[in-house]
Amino acid sequence: MSDPALNDPTELVQLAVDQDACIGAGQCEMLEAETFLLDDDTGIAALTGAGTLPRQRAEDVVDRCPARAISMVDQDDGAGG
Amino acid sequence: MTTSTPTGTPTSPNITDADLYLDGIPYDRFAEMRSTPGLVWHEYHDGGFWAVTRHADVKVVSKNGSIFSSSVGHTNLWDLEADALEARRSLIDTDAPDHTRLRRLVARAFTPKNIRRWEDTVRAITVELLDDFLATGQGDWVEEVAAPLPIRVILTMLGVPVADAGYLVELSNYLVEGTGETQSIPPDAFGNTTELRLLPFNSPASHALFEYGEKIGEERRQNPQDDLVTSLVQAQAEDGDRLSGSEYRNLFHLLVFAGNETTRTALSHGAMALADHPDQWQRVLDDTSLIESAAEEILRWSTPVMHMRRTTTEPVELAGTALDAGEKVVMWYASANRDETVFNDPFTFDVGRVDNPHFSFGGGGPHLCLGAFLARLEIVVLLEEMAKRSMRLRRVGEPVRAPSNFVHGVLSVDMEVTSS
Repeated sequence: MSDPALNDPTELVQLAVDQDACIGAGQCEMLEAETFLLDDDTGIAALTGAGTLPRQRAEDVVDRCPARAISMVDQDDGAGG
Repeated sequence: MTTSTPTGTPTSPNITDADLYLDGIPYDRFAEMRSTPGLVWHEYHDGGFWAVTRHADVKVVSKNGSIFSSSVGHTNLWDLEADALEARRSLIDTDAPDHTRLRRLVARAFTPKNIRRWEDTVRAITVELLDDFLATGQGDWVEEVAAPLPIRVILTMLGVPVADAGYLVELSNYLVEGTGETQSIPPDAFGNTTELRLLPFNSPASHALFEYGEKIGEERRQNPQDDLVTSLVQAQAEDGDRLSGSEYRNLFHLLVFAGNETTRTALSHGAMALADHPDQWQRVLDDTSLIESAAEEILRWSTPVMHMRRTTTEPVELAGTALDAGEKVVMWYASANRDETVFNDPFTFDVGRVDNPHFSFGGGGPHLCLGAFLARLEIVVLLEEMAKRSMRLRRVGEPVRAPSNFVHGVLSVDMEVTSS
């Protein structure tokens, strides 16, 4: 798993939100307001639009989620969101 | 890898000695601990702990709640007996899934968008306090501005009537006292009959705050309003499993306490930093687009909550130190916020600091401060209104600091203020 292409920081990667784990802390919306939106009524995060980010920013937002509710979807295995 | 057997690690000065903090955070000692390989063992009267002082290690502990638990033992340095831990358990002392359930009940009110709805309220309170302070020209910044601002805001959000605000401020101040080692009120104050060990901060004021929370909760059940207490009691009513009576009491208590003490501390140290670094405040006056980064720097500089404890649930290795299950692990945010491997010139107060991943809201894990966006809003609005008035603060004498190893409190600090 050391394919250098996987580490291209500009490559777009697909993100997913585990809404059962989300605690509505709002870090994702603060960092990436174009990609994440907290629901007004529940405070739970959802993806807006395509839900993709360049790899470096995707890694940052995954890292900053306090509930570990955001993940990067491996597009090669066809698992989807 | 070192072993978990405590060896001859230096423990002087004693970072748990509350009186040590009367002279400020012992940063030299923390720098020494950060440069010591592994974790540093520290004696404590009911059982020693591992001090986690580096930014990267604090983050690992914070983000791995299943190994570094908040619900076992206690989140403060000392253990609580099982019945006391249950009676006092709040959002802070839970792990997933209880934490997830409780946090989601209140999360909605504290999202960035819902916090922005309170901006006018925060600004009105700030303007009133600042204008009064300016009119006097001099006074205790803590009493006149830093203390009243956050408590008035959180009481407004909760829906506490203005007429009761004074009483809740008084209770809250007794709780702050309870984070130190002496209490000025007797065990039976406010009609308390509960054993103090069963009350948060061992304070009879907690009993009074629980009672008040029950009373206002009952009122909101009868007569719902657009406030936080109403949303909590509705969560309880819709499904008793979502919020138990004890959870409601402790959540109400936590919101009043945390909404008061922590931001007060940030606003106190923030004002001191601006007074002590007039060049940095001048940068903000010259370019108000720096206000957001200045607010983050004030947060890093002040570290209102200096540590939180976790307890290991299984054997684990951290920073090369092997830990057994059931060991106390203490994250020292005050140290992580000065970690020289993360922050350039960590002891420089820089309102333009660009990369500022401070841990003043916690180490990045699930217990990340619920009120983070509210605290930021309060600091930003205060700086905006000070800048509008071209206010300049000058310290008169030394601050009186709180004798606490937990809250980086300032009891009073006299300031002169001018406006040009």
